[in-house]
Amino acid sequence: MPSQANCALPAGFQLDRYRIERQLSLGGFSIVYLAYDTDGTPVAIKEYLPNSLALRKTGEIEPQVPEDNMPAFRYGMKCFFEEGRALARLLHPNVVRVLNFFRANSTVYMVMQFERGRTLHDYIQRHRGQVSERFIRNVFIRMLNGLREVHAHKLLHLDIKPSNIYLRADGNPVLLDFGAARQTLAQEQPMLKPMYTPGFASPEHYTDRERLGPWSDIYSVGASMHACIAGSAPPRSDERMKKDMFEPSAKAHIGKYSSQLLELVDWCLLLDPLQRPQSVYTLQKELGQKPPPAPVSSSRLSNILSKLRSSVGKSGGKAP
Amino acid sequence: MKFTIFQESRIGKRKTNQDRIAHCYSRDSLLMVLADGMGGHLHGEIASHVTVQCLTNVFQREAQPKLSDPALFLSRELSLAHHAIIDYALEKGLREAPRTTVVACIVQDGHAHWAHAGDSRLYLLRDERIHIQTHDHSRVQLMMDQGLLDVRSAATHPNRNRVYSCLGGTHLPQLEFSRRTPLQTGDVLALCTDGVWGPVGNDGILRGLYKESPMISVPRVLSQAEALAGPTCDNLSLIAMVWREGDSEGEYSDVVSTQTMALSDFTTRMDSVRQTRPASGEALLSDDEIERAIQEINDAIQKFSK
Repeated sequence: MPSQANCALPAGFQLDRYRIERQLSLGGFSIVYLAYDTDGTPVAIKEYLPNSLALRKTGEIEPQVPEDNMPAFRYGMKCFFEEGRALARLLHPNVVRVLNFFRANSTVYMVMQFERGRTLHDYIQRHRGQVSERFIRNVFIRMLNGLREVHAHKLLHLDIKPSNIYLRADGNPVLLDFGAARQTLAQEQPMLKPMYTPGFASPEHYTDRERLGPWSDIYSVGASMHACIAGSAPPRSDERMKKDMFEPSAKAHIGKYSSQLLELVDWCLLLDPLQRPQSVYTLQKELGQKPPPAPVSSSRLSNILSKLRSSVGKSGGKAP
Repeated sequence: MKFTIFQESRIGKRKTNQDRIAHCYSRDSLLMVLADGMGGHLHGEIASHVTVQCLTNVFQREAQPKLSDPALFLSRELSLAHHAIIDYALEKGLREAPRTTVVACIVQDGHAHWAHAGDSRLYLLRDERIHIQTHDHSRVQLMMDQGLLDVRSAATHPNRNRVYSCLGGTHLPQLEFSRRTPLQTGDVLALCTDGVWGPVGNDGILRGLYKESPMISVPRVLSQAEALAGPTCDNLSLIAMVWREGDSEGEYSDVVSTQTMALSDFTTRMDSVRQTRPASGEALLSDDEIERAIQEINDAIQKFSK
């Protein structure tokens, strides 16, 4: 079946005890809606609906799953449950909260706390080339608190990227979209391809899936920090494995950010998993370090900076 | 729980394999069951199949993640299996209800509970000795108990296959239950049919299974039994489990640790000649399993949101 986009449930649709407001996002594996529960509390509802296996036509509610796809569809559902299981046990301010899980329309739904704000991806788009070092350190240190909790539960996220990092209105980041479990199961079911985002996925995401570990998430964290710095993801790691055209950040962005931060990004982005920081904690420690004063290009900027430094007490880059 | 487990069933020199074996575990509970469908009666393999299927099904429903009362589970489910066999015979208009021996064992909370009917056996090996073994429900065993037979003549007695208790058939089974038996690190629990213990004897079981990973020892013991039994070799089945709780981690690569299993997850292995269909299709996730998964996730949400 060719991959067609699935139609979202219509606005106003009463889904279990939630009323659909609108579609928030559409992925290959699911649709996410904004909905309101009976108390009027907004929630995000994720609908399991893999594009390649199930199709909801315009005006229909129940998606159609061809019989041949049924095994793979159910298999994917199992993976969706894994995500629910993983999240249900995680209670952390930097990890999205799951509120409910239910079955309807021949598929399953996961209800999550709705977060107001925007994704880091949006933020990068709006502040292209202007994302400050302080902002990066602040967001990632806190986001990594959440990731540490994930790893402490022996789980891997495996799809960390700026569009899965949500910035609450108060700037506190939340880690979204735990699609991880689905991928470990992918080999046996060719119809459910592993899902990862080129550029943010480590080399072992592509090939050596047995070598996946915390260091794989750390690669993705490095790629996300790279996106903050450079405005885009580094080159795909599978391409880099063939011929590495990646110019280390420490060279490409010298002067704009402290070399300590740039070197940390490059460290995370090493192709050999064993050469990267092996734990989130290592990474956090590095991020928490007060960077040495950044080299500056103009004396005027240097003036501003020194003033800022004295007022903020901790900086190295540009003003936030 | 931490343990190593392996099971295998072979047809021997018979035309069909009427033995059925399965093991199944959740995070906190393990079921092992073995049934030897009785030849000389019709459809022995149906009786053994129904029995093993019944027990594993109910176990998966109730052991979430453990059974409230393992002894009660065994007594209730083994009688239900007996009736299920009789119902099956009635439904299909069979002239007589098929029969099977059974031995089933539950391990949870570091203790084992087992029950059996007939001459399929359970051995508990500890300190290089047979610590416990079940007592066959057979004519020769009765005669031995009364001092009318010794072990050697029992092994060749013409009626040595006669059992007086089984599931199915015309009489109610006489089920024999174990005590709640604490397990120690390194204990081996072995369940086998007479096709195994007959040829190799207690000594063969003990020497064959002690001190080694079941993944190596089980196939070897079966091969020994096959070789010893020669051209009349019966169906032969063996499940062996080594208890590894309390062992330092990483010492044995084949150890199953159920610590990280989800509350309603089960790993089930049921070997039978009839089950040739690969695990695909609907078998992957039934409607019941979907309901259970959802229930469990919601329970977790409730539990962790407090």
